[in-house]
Amino acid sequence: MSALGGGSAGGEGINPTASVIALVIVLVSLGIAFALAPATLIPLIGVIIGGVLISFGVHFVPVGGAPAAMGQAPGIATGVAMLAAGGGLAGLFGGAWAAEMGIWVALGAGAMGGGLLMAITCLMVNVVYVYAMGIPAASGKVEKDPITGDTYAGYRSQGTEGHGLPFISYVGGVIGGILAGAGGTLIYLELLSVYEEALPSVLGMTPEGMSTLAVSLAGIFAVGMFLVAAVLTAYNITGTIEGPHDPKFKRWPRAVIGSSAACAACGLVAILLVVI
Amino acid sequence: MEEILFGIGISALAGALATVAGAAEDTESDIGSQGDPNSQVQLAPQMGYIHRIYNKAISGEPPAYGLWVALAAGIAWALMAIQYNAILALIIGSAVAVFVQGVYATTAYLGRTASLAKFEQPVYIDILKSVTTVTMAHAFVAVFTTVTMCFLIIEALGHPFPLPLMGLVWGIALGAAGSATGNPFYGKERQYQNYPFGAGLPISASGDIVRYAEAGQRSSLDNGWFTSKGAGPASGICFGLIVFFELWRTILFEPFAAGWGAVIAGAVIIIVFMVIDRMVETWARKTYGPYTTEAATEEEATA
Repeated sequence: MSALGGGSAGGEGINPTASVIALVIVLVSLGIAFALAPATLIPLIGVIIGGVLISFGVHFVPVGGAPAAMGQAPGIATGVAMLAAGGGLAGLFGGAWAAEMGIWVALGAGAMGGGLLMAITCLMVNVVYVYAMGIPAASGKVEKDPITGDTYAGYRSQGTEGHGLPFISYVGGVIGGILAGAGGTLIYLELLSVYEEALPSVLGMTPEGMSTLAVSLAGIFAVGMFLVAAVLTAYNITGTIEGPHDPKFKRWPRAVIGSSAACAACGLVAILLVVI
Repeated sequence: MEEILFGIGISALAGALATVAGAAEDTESDIGSQGDPNSQVQLAPQMGYIHRIYNKAISGEPPAYGLWVALAAGIAWALMAIQYNAILALIIGSAVAVFVQGVYATTAYLGRTASLAKFEQPVYIDILKSVTTVTMAHAFVAVFTTVTMCFLIIEALGHPFPLPLMGLVWGIALGAAGSATGNPFYGKERQYQNYPFGAGLPISASGDIVRYAEAGQRSSLDNGWFTSKGAGPASGICFGLIVFFELWRTILFEPFAAGWGAVIAGAVIIIVFMVIDRMVETWARKTYGPYTTEAATEEEATA
Protein backbone atom coordinates (compact mmCIF):
# COMPACT_ATOMS: atom_id res chain seq x y z
CA MET A 1 0.00 0.00 0.00
CA SER A 2 2.93 2.32 -0.56
CA ALA A 3 0.96 4.39 -3.06
CA LEU A 4 -1.68 5.08 -0.46
CA GLY A 5 0.65 5.67 2.42
CA GLY A 6 2.46 8.15 0.26
CA GLY A 7 5.87 6.79 1.29
CA SER A 8 8.06 9.54 2.58
CA ALA A 9 11.04 8.72 0.40
CA GLY A 10 13.48 11.54 0.88
CA GLY A 11 11.47 13.41 3.50
CA GLU A 12 10.52 17.03 3.21
CA GLY A 13 13.76 18.83 3.97
CA ILE A 14 16.06 20.50 1.51
CA ASN A 15 19.42 18.86 0.93
CA PRO A 16 21.96 21.73 1.17
CA THR A 17 24.66 20.03 -0.92
CA ALA A 18 22.23 19.17 -3.72
CA SER A 19 20.82 22.70 -3.64
CA VAL A 20 24.28 24.24 -3.96
CA ILE A 21 25.06 21.92 -6.88
CA ALA A 22 21.78 22.96 -8.53
CA LEU A 23 22.62 26.62 -8.01
CA VAL A 24 26.06 26.09 -9.54
CA ILE A 25 24.50 24.39 -12.59
CA VAL A 26 22.13 27.33 -13.02
CA LEU A 27 24.94 29.90 -12.69
CA VAL A 28 27.31 28.00 -15.00
CA SER A 29 24.57 27.65 -17.63
CA LEU A 30 23.82 31.38 -17.42
CA GLY A 31 27.54 32.16 -17.57
CA ILE A 32 28.08 30.05 -20.69
CA ALA A 33 25.06 31.60 -22.39
CA PHE A 34 26.29 35.09 -21.55
CA ALA A 35 29.85 34.36 -22.71
CA LEU A 36 28.77 32.91 -26.07
CA ALA A 37 25.90 35.23 -26.89
CA PRO A 38 24.93 37.90 -24.34
CA ALA A 39 21.56 38.38 -26.03
CA THR A 40 20.51 34.85 -25.01
CA LEU A 41 20.88 35.52 -21.29
CA ILE A 42 17.38 36.94 -20.83
CA PRO A 43 15.69 34.12 -22.83
CA LEU A 44 17.56 31.54 -20.74
CA ILE A 45 16.38 33.22 -17.54
CA GLY A 46 12.85 33.09 -19.01
CA VAL A 47 13.24 29.37 -19.68
CA ILE A 48 14.33 28.79 -16.07
CA ILE A 49 11.37 30.79 -14.75
CA GLY A 50 9.10 28.73 -17.02
CA GLY A 51 10.51 25.52 -15.52
CA VAL A 52 9.99 26.88 -12.02
CA LEU A 53 6.35 27.76 -12.82
CA ILE A 54 5.72 24.26 -14.19
CA SER A 55 7.34 22.58 -11.21
CA PHE A 56 5.48 24.71 -8.68
CA GLY A 57 2.21 24.30 -10.59
CA VAL A 58 2.41 20.52 -10.70
CA HIS A 59 2.29 20.42 -6.89
CA PHE A 60 -1.22 21.92 -6.99
CA VAL A 61 -2.62 19.23 -9.28
CA PRO A 62 -4.63 16.60 -7.33
CA VAL A 63 -3.34 13.26 -8.55
CA GLY A 64 -4.66 10.03 -7.10
CA GLY A 65 -3.08 7.51 -9.45
CA ALA A 66 -4.17 3.88 -9.23
CA PRO A 67 -5.85 4.15 -5.77
CA ALA A 68 -8.12 6.91 -7.11
CA ALA A 69 -9.20 4.63 -9.94
CA MET A 70 -10.66 2.25 -7.33
CA GLY A 71 -12.19 5.03 -5.25
CA GLN A 72 -9.62 4.33 -2.51
CA ALA A 73 -8.02 7.79 -2.44
CA PRO A 74 -9.03 11.25 -3.61
CA GLY A 75 -7.64 12.86 -6.75
CA ILE A 76 -7.61 12.29 -10.47
CA ALA A 77 -6.94 8.69 -11.46
CA THR A 78 -3.83 9.19 -13.54
CA GLY A 79 -0.14 10.00 -13.15
CA VAL A 80 1.26 13.33 -11.95
CA ALA A 81 3.41 14.04 -14.98
CA MET A 82 0.74 12.77 -17.37
CA LEU A 83 -1.97 15.06 -16.14
CA ALA A 84 0.27 18.08 -15.79
CA ALA A 85 1.58 17.50 -19.30
CA GLY A 86 -1.96 17.36 -20.65
CA GLY A 87 -2.89 20.64 -18.98
CA GLY A 88 0.37 22.40 -19.69
CA LEU A 89 0.50 21.40 -23.33
CA ALA A 90 -3.09 22.51 -23.89
CA GLY A 91 -1.86 25.82 -22.46
CA LEU A 92 1.12 25.80 -24.80
CA PHE A 93 -1.30 25.35 -27.70
CA GLY A 94 -3.23 28.46 -26.66
CA GLY A 95 -0.11 30.46 -25.87
CA ALA A 96 1.56 29.66 -29.20
CA TRP A 97 -1.60 30.72 -30.99
CA ALA A 98 -1.55 34.09 -29.28
CA ALA A 99 2.24 34.57 -29.64
CA GLU A 100 1.82 37.39 -32.19
CA MET A 101 -0.22 39.44 -29.72
CA GLY A 102 2.66 40.01 -27.34
CA ILE A 103 4.23 38.08 -24.50
CA TRP A 104 1.71 39.01 -21.80
CA VAL A 105 -1.37 38.12 -23.84
CA ALA A 106 0.31 34.88 -24.94
CA LEU A 107 1.16 34.01 -21.32
CA GLY A 108 -2.42 34.78 -20.30
CA ALA A 109 -3.79 32.65 -23.15
CA GLY A 110 -1.44 29.80 -22.21
CA ALA A 111 -2.40 30.02 -18.56
CA MET A 112 -6.11 29.98 -19.35
CA GLY A 113 -5.66 27.07 -21.79
CA GLY A 114 -4.06 24.96 -19.06
CA GLY A 115 -6.62 26.09 -16.48
CA LEU A 116 -9.51 25.32 -18.82
CA LEU A 117 -8.33 21.76 -19.46
CA MET A 118 -8.00 21.15 -15.75
CA ALA A 119 -11.35 22.81 -14.92
CA ILE A 120 -13.24 20.64 -17.41
CA THR A 121 -11.32 17.46 -16.57
CA CYS A 122 -11.82 17.90 -12.81
CA LEU A 123 -15.53 18.60 -13.33
CA MET A 124 -15.96 15.46 -15.42
CA VAL A 125 -14.08 13.42 -12.80
CA ASN A 126 -16.59 14.55 -10.17
CA VAL A 127 -19.52 14.00 -12.54
CA VAL A 128 -18.41 10.39 -13.08
CA TYR A 129 -17.86 9.81 -9.35
CA VAL A 130 -21.19 11.35 -8.35
CA TYR A 131 -23.60 10.35 -11.12
CA ALA A 132 -22.06 7.13 -12.46
CA MET A 133 -20.64 5.68 -9.24
CA GLY A 134 -22.78 7.30 -6.55
CA ILE A 135 -19.75 8.39 -4.52
CA PRO A 136 -19.49 11.88 -2.90
CA ALA A 137 -16.15 13.70 -2.72
CA ALA A 138 -14.13 13.38 0.48
CA SER A 139 -10.59 14.40 1.31
CA GLY A 140 -8.31 11.96 3.10
CA LYS A 141 -5.82 14.56 4.31
CA VAL A 142 -8.00 17.18 6.00
CA GLU A 143 -11.18 16.93 8.06
CA LYS A 144 -12.57 20.21 6.78
CA ASP A 145 -12.35 21.82 3.35
CA PRO A 146 -10.28 25.02 3.74
CA ILE A 147 -12.46 26.87 1.20
CA THR A 148 -16.02 25.64 1.66
CA GLY A 149 -15.82 24.40 5.25
CA ASP A 150 -17.40 21.04 4.32
CA THR A 151 -16.54 18.27 6.77
CA TYR A 152 -15.27 14.99 5.36
CA ALA A 153 -15.13 12.54 8.26
CA GLY A 154 -18.52 10.97 7.52
CA TYR A 155 -18.18 11.04 3.78
CA ARG A 156 -15.22 8.64 3.50
CA SER A 157 -16.48 5.17 2.77
CA GLN A 158 -15.18 2.37 4.94
CA GLY A 159 -11.64 1.18 4.31
CA THR A 160 -10.71 4.07 2.01
CA GLU A 161 -8.75 7.29 2.37
CA GLY A 162 -11.47 9.35 0.71
CA HIS A 163 -12.46 9.66 -2.95
CA GLY A 164 -13.48 12.07 -5.70
CA LEU A 165 -12.32 15.64 -5.91
CA PRO A 166 -13.13 17.85 -2.90
CA PHE A 167 -13.48 21.54 -3.79
CA ILE A 168 -10.01 22.47 -2.53
CA SER A 169 -8.53 19.83 -4.84
CA TYR A 170 -10.59 21.19 -7.74
CA VAL A 171 -9.27 24.70 -7.14
CA GLY A 172 -5.74 23.30 -6.80
CA GLY A 173 -6.10 21.53 -10.14
CA VAL A 174 -7.15 24.72 -11.87
CA ILE A 175 -4.30 26.73 -10.29
CA GLY A 176 -1.85 23.98 -11.29
CA GLY A 177 -3.11 24.04 -14.88
CA ILE A 178 -2.81 27.83 -15.00
CA LEU A 179 0.77 27.85 -13.68
CA ALA A 180 1.86 24.92 -15.85
CA GLY A 181 0.24 26.44 -18.95
CA ALA A 182 1.95 29.79 -18.34
CA GLY A 183 5.31 28.07 -17.67
CA GLY A 184 5.19 25.99 -20.85
CA THR A 185 4.20 29.03 -22.89
CA LEU A 186 7.02 31.13 -21.41
CA ILE A 187 9.61 28.51 -22.39
CA TYR A 188 8.16 28.37 -25.90
CA LEU A 189 8.11 32.14 -26.36
CA GLU A 190 11.68 32.62 -25.11
CA LEU A 191 13.06 29.88 -27.34
CA LEU A 192 11.03 31.17 -30.29
CA SER A 193 12.56 34.63 -29.89
CA VAL A 194 16.08 33.13 -29.90
CA TYR A 195 15.40 30.95 -32.95
CA GLU A 196 13.66 33.66 -34.97
CA GLU A 197 16.66 35.89 -34.33
CA ALA A 198 19.43 33.37 -34.97
CA LEU A 199 18.13 30.87 -37.52
CA PRO A 200 18.06 33.14 -40.61
CA SER A 201 21.75 34.06 -40.17
CA VAL A 202 22.81 30.50 -39.23
CA LEU A 203 21.13 28.86 -42.22
CA GLY A 204 21.24 31.85 -44.59
CA MET A 205 17.53 31.91 -45.39
CA THR A 206 14.85 34.56 -45.17
CA PRO A 207 13.03 35.02 -41.81
CA GLU A 208 9.74 34.03 -43.52
CA GLY A 209 11.18 30.69 -44.67
CA MET A 210 12.49 30.03 -41.18
CA SER A 211 9.28 30.58 -39.26
CA THR A 212 8.00 26.97 -39.49
CA LEU A 213 11.38 25.62 -38.42
CA ALA A 214 11.61 28.11 -35.54
CA VAL A 215 8.09 27.29 -34.33
CA SER A 216 8.73 23.53 -34.59
CA LEU A 217 12.04 23.67 -32.74
CA ALA A 218 10.70 25.94 -30.02
CA GLY A 219 7.56 23.80 -29.66
CA ILE A 220 9.44 20.50 -29.40
CA PHE A 221 11.94 21.90 -26.89
CA ALA A 222 9.10 23.42 -24.87
CA VAL A 223 7.28 20.06 -24.77
CA GLY A 224 10.52 18.30 -23.83
CA MET A 225 11.42 20.74 -21.06
CA PHE A 226 7.87 20.63 -19.81
CA LEU A 227 8.16 16.88 -19.35
CA VAL A 228 11.57 17.25 -17.67
CA ALA A 229 10.15 19.66 -15.08
CA ALA A 230 6.92 17.69 -14.60
CA VAL A 231 8.65 14.30 -14.19
CA LEU A 232 11.22 15.71 -11.75
CA THR A 233 8.33 17.10 -9.73
CA ALA A 234 6.50 13.77 -9.89
CA TYR A 235 9.55 12.14 -8.27
CA ASN A 236 9.46 14.78 -5.56
CA ILE A 237 5.77 14.08 -4.89
CA THR A 238 6.28 10.28 -4.80
CA GLY A 239 2.95 8.85 -5.85
CA THR A 240 -0.16 10.81 -5.04
CA ILE A 241 -1.02 14.31 -3.83
CA GLU A 242 -4.39 15.87 -3.05
CA GLY A 243 -3.54 19.49 -3.79
CA PRO A 244 -2.37 22.56 -1.88
CA HIS A 245 -3.77 21.24 1.44
CA ASP A 246 -1.76 18.01 1.25
CA PRO A 247 1.27 17.85 3.58
CA LYS A 248 3.35 16.79 0.57
CA PHE A 249 2.74 20.22 -0.96
CA LYS A 250 5.36 21.59 1.43
CA ARG A 251 8.02 19.75 -0.55
CA TRP A 252 7.74 22.21 -3.47
CA PRO A 253 10.97 24.17 -2.85
CA ARG A 254 13.00 21.02 -3.48
CA ALA A 255 11.36 20.35 -6.85
CA VAL A 256 11.60 24.00 -7.84
CA ILE A 257 15.36 24.00 -7.17
CA GLY A 258 15.80 20.74 -9.11
CA SER A 259 13.67 21.89 -12.04
CA SER A 260 15.46 25.22 -12.32
CA ALA A 261 18.80 23.39 -12.65
CA ALA A 262 17.40 20.90 -15.16
CA CYS A 263 15.72 23.60 -17.23
CA ALA A 264 18.88 25.74 -17.15
CA ALA A 265 20.93 22.87 -18.58
CA CYS A 266 18.26 21.89 -21.15
CA GLY A 267 17.64 25.52 -22.08
CA LEU A 268 21.35 26.06 -22.62
CA VAL A 269 21.48 23.09 -25.02
CA ALA A 270 18.40 24.39 -26.85
CA ILE A 271 20.03 27.81 -27.24
CA LEU A 272 23.50 26.49 -28.17
CA LEU A 273 21.85 24.62 -31.03
CA VAL A 274 21.66 27.85 -33.01
CA VAL A 275 24.22 30.05 -31.30
CA ILE A 276 27.38 28.00 -31.91
CA MET B 1 -18.24 38.39 -39.57
CA GLU B 2 -18.12 35.55 -42.06
CA GLU B 3 -14.66 34.69 -40.85
CA ILE B 4 -15.87 34.44 -37.24
CA LEU B 5 -18.83 32.28 -38.26
CA PHE B 6 -16.51 30.02 -40.24
CA GLY B 7 -14.21 29.81 -37.21
CA ILE B 8 -17.06 28.89 -34.87
CA GLY B 9 -18.22 26.23 -37.35
CA ILE B 10 -14.73 24.74 -37.45
CA SER B 11 -14.58 24.89 -33.63
CA ALA B 12 -17.83 22.95 -33.43
CA LEU B 13 -16.60 20.37 -35.94
CA ALA B 14 -13.29 20.03 -34.10
CA GLY B 15 -15.20 19.68 -30.81
CA ALA B 16 -17.37 16.94 -32.34
CA LEU B 17 -14.30 15.09 -33.62
CA ALA B 18 -12.71 15.44 -30.19
CA THR B 19 -15.83 14.00 -28.55
CA VAL B 20 -15.65 10.90 -30.73
CA ALA B 21 -11.89 10.72 -30.09
CA GLY B 22 -12.33 10.88 -26.32
CA ALA B 23 -15.00 8.18 -26.29
CA ALA B 24 -12.96 5.88 -28.54
CA GLU B 25 -9.76 6.51 -26.58
CA ASP B 26 -11.31 5.58 -23.26
CA THR B 27 -13.04 2.50 -24.62
CA GLU B 28 -9.78 1.40 -26.26
CA SER B 29 -7.84 1.84 -23.05
CA ASP B 30 -10.50 -0.03 -21.04
CA ILE B 31 -10.63 -2.97 -23.46
CA GLY B 32 -6.83 -3.08 -23.55
CA SER B 33 -6.66 -2.28 -19.82
CA GLN B 34 -4.08 0.45 -20.17
CA GLY B 35 -5.11 2.88 -17.44
CA ASP B 36 -4.33 2.95 -13.74
CA PRO B 37 -6.96 0.27 -12.94
CA ASN B 38 -4.65 -2.18 -14.69
CA SER B 39 -2.68 -2.24 -11.44
CA GLN B 40 -5.44 -4.58 -10.23
CA VAL B 41 -5.25 -6.74 -13.35
CA GLN B 42 -1.53 -7.12 -12.73
CA LEU B 43 -2.05 -7.66 -9.01
CA ALA B 44 -4.88 -10.24 -9.22
CA PRO B 45 -2.77 -13.31 -10.19
CA GLN B 46 -0.34 -12.45 -7.39
CA MET B 47 -3.27 -12.72 -4.97
CA GLY B 48 -4.31 -16.06 -6.48
CA TYR B 49 -6.99 -14.78 -8.87
CA ILE B 50 -6.21 -16.05 -12.39
CA HIS B 51 -8.13 -14.11 -15.05
CA ARG B 52 -8.63 -13.54 -18.77
CA ILE B 53 -8.34 -9.73 -18.83
CA TYR B 54 -6.05 -8.04 -21.35
CA ASN B 55 -3.01 -6.29 -19.90
CA LYS B 56 -1.07 -3.70 -21.88
CA ALA B 57 -0.24 -0.93 -19.42
CA ILE B 58 3.46 -0.55 -20.13
CA SER B 59 2.90 3.17 -20.68
CA GLY B 60 0.44 5.76 -19.46
CA GLU B 61 -2.30 6.71 -21.90
CA PRO B 62 -1.04 10.29 -22.51
CA PRO B 63 2.46 9.40 -23.79
CA ALA B 64 1.07 6.41 -25.72
CA TYR B 65 -1.51 8.56 -27.49
CA GLY B 66 1.06 11.32 -27.89
CA LEU B 67 3.17 8.83 -29.83
CA TRP B 68 0.39 7.36 -31.95
CA VAL B 69 -1.25 10.67 -32.88
CA ALA B 70 2.13 12.33 -33.56
CA LEU B 71 3.11 9.35 -35.71
CA ALA B 72 -0.13 9.53 -37.70
CA ALA B 73 0.25 13.30 -38.03
CA GLY B 74 3.89 13.02 -39.09
CA ILE B 75 3.16 10.48 -41.81
CA ALA B 76 0.14 12.44 -43.03
CA TRP B 77 2.24 15.61 -43.06
CA ALA B 78 5.00 13.91 -45.10
CA LEU B 79 2.48 12.51 -47.58
CA MET B 80 0.79 15.89 -47.97
CA ALA B 81 4.21 17.41 -48.64
CA ILE B 82 4.50 15.14 -51.69
CA GLN B 83 1.06 16.25 -52.88
CA TYR B 84 -1.08 13.39 -51.56
CA ASN B 85 -4.75 14.14 -51.10
CA ALA B 86 -5.19 15.37 -47.51
CA ILE B 87 -7.95 12.91 -46.57
CA LEU B 88 -6.01 9.97 -47.99
CA ALA B 89 -2.87 11.14 -46.19
CA LEU B 90 -4.72 11.35 -42.85
CA ILE B 91 -6.17 7.86 -43.33
CA ILE B 92 -2.81 6.32 -44.30
CA GLY B 93 -1.09 8.08 -41.41
CA SER B 94 -3.69 6.81 -38.92
CA ALA B 95 -3.54 3.27 -40.34
CA VAL B 96 0.25 3.12 -39.95
CA ALA B 97 0.00 4.51 -36.40
CA VAL B 98 -2.56 1.84 -35.56
CA PHE B 99 -0.22 -0.91 -36.75
CA VAL B 100 2.35 0.48 -34.32
CA GLN B 101 -0.35 0.44 -31.64
CA GLY B 102 -1.06 -3.21 -32.51
CA VAL B 103 2.61 -4.14 -32.14
CA TYR B 104 2.72 -2.22 -28.86
CA ALA B 105 -0.42 -3.99 -27.58
CA THR B 106 0.82 -7.46 -28.56
CA THR B 107 4.28 -7.10 -27.03
CA ALA B 108 2.84 -5.42 -23.95
CA TYR B 109 0.30 -8.19 -23.34
CA LEU B 110 2.85 -10.94 -23.89
CA GLY B 111 5.47 -9.23 -21.76
CA ARG B 112 3.27 -8.26 -18.86
CA THR B 113 1.42 -11.56 -18.73
CA ALA B 114 4.58 -13.64 -19.11
CA SER B 115 6.02 -11.81 -16.12
CA LEU B 116 3.20 -13.36 -14.06
CA ALA B 117 4.22 -16.92 -15.00
CA LYS B 118 5.39 -17.76 -11.50
CA PHE B 119 1.89 -16.98 -10.23
CA GLU B 120 0.53 -19.46 -12.82
CA GLN B 121 -1.19 -16.83 -14.95
CA PRO B 122 -1.31 -18.26 -18.51
CA VAL B 123 -0.83 -16.28 -21.72
CA TYR B 124 -4.05 -16.88 -23.69
CA ILE B 125 -3.44 -16.83 -27.43
CA ASP B 126 -7.17 -16.54 -28.20
CA ILE B 127 -7.28 -13.33 -26.13
CA LEU B 128 -4.36 -11.98 -28.09
CA LYS B 129 -6.18 -12.74 -31.34
CA SER B 130 -9.61 -11.47 -30.38
CA VAL B 131 -8.89 -8.44 -28.19
CA THR B 132 -5.85 -6.91 -29.91
CA THR B 133 -7.75 -6.24 -33.13
CA VAL B 134 -10.63 -4.65 -31.21
CA THR B 135 -8.26 -2.26 -29.41
CA MET B 136 -6.68 -1.46 -32.78
CA ALA B 137 -10.08 -0.62 -34.27
CA HIS B 138 -10.91 1.71 -31.40
CA ALA B 139 -7.43 3.25 -31.55
CA PHE B 140 -7.95 3.95 -35.26
CA VAL B 141 -11.12 5.89 -34.51
CA ALA B 142 -9.38 7.86 -31.73
CA VAL B 143 -6.21 8.58 -33.74
CA PHE B 144 -7.97 9.43 -37.00
CA THR B 145 -10.44 11.84 -35.39
CA THR B 146 -7.69 13.54 -33.36
CA VAL B 147 -5.33 13.96 -36.29
CA THR B 148 -8.20 15.26 -38.47
CA MET B 149 -9.05 17.74 -35.73
CA CYS B 150 -5.40 18.88 -35.64
CA PHE B 151 -5.42 19.25 -39.42
CA LEU B 152 -8.55 21.42 -39.25
CA ILE B 153 -7.07 23.63 -36.52
CA ILE B 154 -3.97 24.28 -38.62
CA GLU B 155 -5.48 24.58 -42.10
CA ALA B 156 -8.77 26.29 -41.30
CA LEU B 157 -7.94 28.25 -38.15
CA GLY B 158 -4.29 29.07 -38.89
CA HIS B 159 -2.50 27.76 -35.79
CA PRO B 160 1.28 28.10 -36.28
CA PHE B 161 2.27 24.58 -35.09
CA PRO B 162 3.19 22.03 -37.76
CA LEU B 163 0.93 18.96 -37.89
CA PRO B 164 3.25 16.45 -36.08
CA LEU B 165 3.80 18.82 -33.14
CA MET B 166 0.08 19.56 -32.98
CA GLY B 167 -0.54 15.80 -32.99
CA LEU B 168 1.86 15.32 -30.07
CA VAL B 169 0.26 18.11 -28.02
CA TRP B 170 -3.35 17.01 -28.56
CA GLY B 171 -2.48 13.32 -28.35
CA ILE B 172 -1.07 13.85 -24.86
CA ALA B 173 -4.09 16.00 -23.90
CA LEU B 174 -6.44 13.30 -25.25
CA GLY B 175 -4.76 10.63 -23.13
CA ALA B 176 -4.83 12.89 -20.06
CA ALA B 177 -8.54 13.70 -20.41
CA GLY B 178 -9.53 10.11 -21.26
CA SER B 179 -7.56 8.47 -18.47
CA ALA B 180 -8.60 11.03 -15.84
CA THR B 181 -12.32 10.74 -16.59
CA GLY B 182 -12.61 7.10 -17.55
CA ASN B 183 -10.33 5.29 -15.11
CA PRO B 184 -12.52 5.36 -11.95
CA PHE B 185 -15.49 3.91 -13.82
CA TYR B 186 -13.45 1.05 -15.25
CA GLY B 187 -11.52 0.54 -12.03
CA LYS B 188 -14.11 0.71 -9.27
CA GLU B 189 -17.35 0.22 -11.13
CA ARG B 190 -16.43 -2.59 -13.51
CA GLN B 191 -13.50 -4.48 -12.04
CA TYR B 192 -15.11 -4.48 -8.59
CA GLN B 193 -18.71 -4.81 -9.71
CA ASN B 194 -19.42 -7.30 -6.91
CA TYR B 195 -18.68 -4.68 -4.22
CA PRO B 196 -21.45 -2.32 -3.03
CA PHE B 197 -22.43 0.54 -5.33
CA GLY B 198 -21.93 4.05 -4.00
CA ALA B 199 -18.76 3.50 -1.98
CA GLY B 200 -15.04 3.35 -2.65
CA LEU B 201 -13.26 0.03 -2.67
CA PRO B 202 -11.83 -1.01 0.72
CA ILE B 203 -8.06 -1.14 0.41
CA SER B 204 -8.06 -4.70 1.77
CA ALA B 205 -10.07 -5.90 -1.26
CA SER B 206 -7.34 -4.98 -3.76
CA GLY B 207 -6.74 -7.64 -6.38
CA ASP B 208 -10.12 -9.37 -6.02
CA ILE B 209 -11.37 -8.33 -9.46
CA VAL B 210 -14.49 -9.79 -11.07
CA ARG B 211 -13.36 -12.66 -13.27
CA TYR B 212 -16.60 -14.36 -14.29
CA ALA B 213 -19.36 -13.19 -16.63
CA GLU B 214 -22.96 -14.39 -17.17
CA ALA B 215 -21.53 -17.36 -19.04
CA GLY B 216 -17.93 -18.41 -18.59
CA GLN B 217 -15.04 -16.15 -17.77
CA ARG B 218 -15.17 -12.41 -18.25
CA SER B 219 -13.32 -11.06 -21.25
CA SER B 220 -11.92 -7.59 -21.79
CA LEU B 221 -14.47 -7.16 -24.58
CA ASP B 222 -17.18 -7.31 -21.88
CA ASN B 223 -15.38 -4.46 -20.13
CA GLY B 224 -15.50 -2.39 -23.31
CA TRP B 225 -19.23 -3.09 -23.61
CA PHE B 226 -19.77 -1.85 -20.04
CA THR B 227 -17.51 1.20 -20.02
CA SER B 228 -18.73 2.42 -23.43
CA LYS B 229 -22.00 3.22 -21.65
CA GLY B 230 -20.48 5.43 -18.97
CA ALA B 231 -16.79 6.24 -18.98
CA GLY B 232 -16.47 6.41 -22.78
CA PRO B 233 -19.12 9.08 -23.39
CA ALA B 234 -17.97 11.00 -20.28
CA SER B 235 -14.39 11.07 -21.58
CA GLY B 236 -15.71 12.12 -24.98
CA ILE B 237 -17.66 15.00 -23.49
CA CYS B 238 -14.61 16.00 -21.46
CA PHE B 239 -12.21 16.12 -24.40
CA GLY B 240 -14.86 17.62 -26.70
CA LEU B 241 -15.57 20.45 -24.24
CA ILE B 242 -11.84 21.13 -23.81
CA VAL B 243 -11.22 21.42 -27.55
CA PHE B 244 -14.40 23.34 -28.27
CA PHE B 245 -14.00 25.94 -25.53
CA GLU B 246 -10.30 26.37 -26.21
CA LEU B 247 -11.01 27.16 -29.87
CA TRP B 248 -14.29 29.01 -29.35
CA ARG B 249 -12.96 31.49 -26.80
CA THR B 250 -9.98 32.29 -29.04
CA ILE B 251 -11.95 32.65 -32.28
CA LEU B 252 -14.73 34.73 -30.80
CA PHE B 253 -13.01 36.87 -28.17
CA GLU B 254 -9.42 37.36 -29.34
CA PRO B 255 -10.29 40.43 -31.45
CA PHE B 256 -11.44 42.22 -28.27
CA ALA B 257 -9.09 44.25 -26.03
CA ALA B 258 -5.96 43.45 -28.05
CA GLY B 259 -6.16 39.73 -27.36
CA TRP B 260 -7.12 40.00 -23.67
CA GLY B 261 -10.73 39.19 -24.61
CA ALA B 262 -9.85 35.51 -25.06
CA VAL B 263 -7.98 35.46 -21.74
CA ILE B 264 -10.91 37.00 -19.88
CA ALA B 265 -13.35 34.65 -21.63
CA GLY B 266 -11.17 31.72 -20.51
CA ALA B 267 -11.25 32.94 -16.92
CA VAL B 268 -15.04 33.33 -17.02
CA ILE B 269 -15.50 29.82 -18.47
CA ILE B 270 -13.25 28.39 -15.75
CA ILE B 271 -15.32 30.11 -13.04
CA VAL B 272 -18.55 28.79 -14.58
CA PHE B 273 -17.20 25.23 -14.53
CA MET B 274 -16.04 25.76 -10.96
CA VAL B 275 -19.56 26.78 -9.91
CA ILE B 276 -21.04 23.74 -11.70
CA ASP B 277 -18.53 21.50 -9.91
CA ARG B 278 -19.51 22.94 -6.54
CA MET B 279 -23.18 22.32 -7.34
CA VAL B 280 -22.42 18.70 -8.27
CA GLU B 281 -20.44 18.24 -5.05
CA THR B 282 -23.16 19.77 -2.87
CA TRP B 283 -25.87 17.74 -4.63
CA ALA B 284 -23.97 14.54 -3.90
CA ARG B 285 -23.53 15.40 -0.22
CA LYS B 286 -27.20 16.25 0.21
CA THR B 287 -28.58 13.36 -1.83
CA TYR B 288 -26.32 10.54 -0.68
CA GLY B 289 -25.62 11.79 2.84
CA PRO B 290 -22.75 10.65 5.06
CA TYR B 291 -21.78 6.97 5.36
CA THR B 292 -21.74 6.88 9.15
CA THR B 293 -24.33 8.13 11.61
CA GLU B 294 -21.74 9.44 14.07
CA ALA B 295 -20.53 11.73 11.37
CA ALA B 296 -24.07 12.83 10.61
CA THR B 297 -24.52 13.91 14.19
CA GLU B 298 -21.18 15.68 14.07
CA GLU B 299 -22.26 17.39 10.86
CA GLU B 300 -25.48 18.64 12.40
CA ALA B 301 -23.61 19.89 15.44
CA THR B 302 -21.21 21.79 13.21
CA ALA B 303 -24.06 23.27 11.19
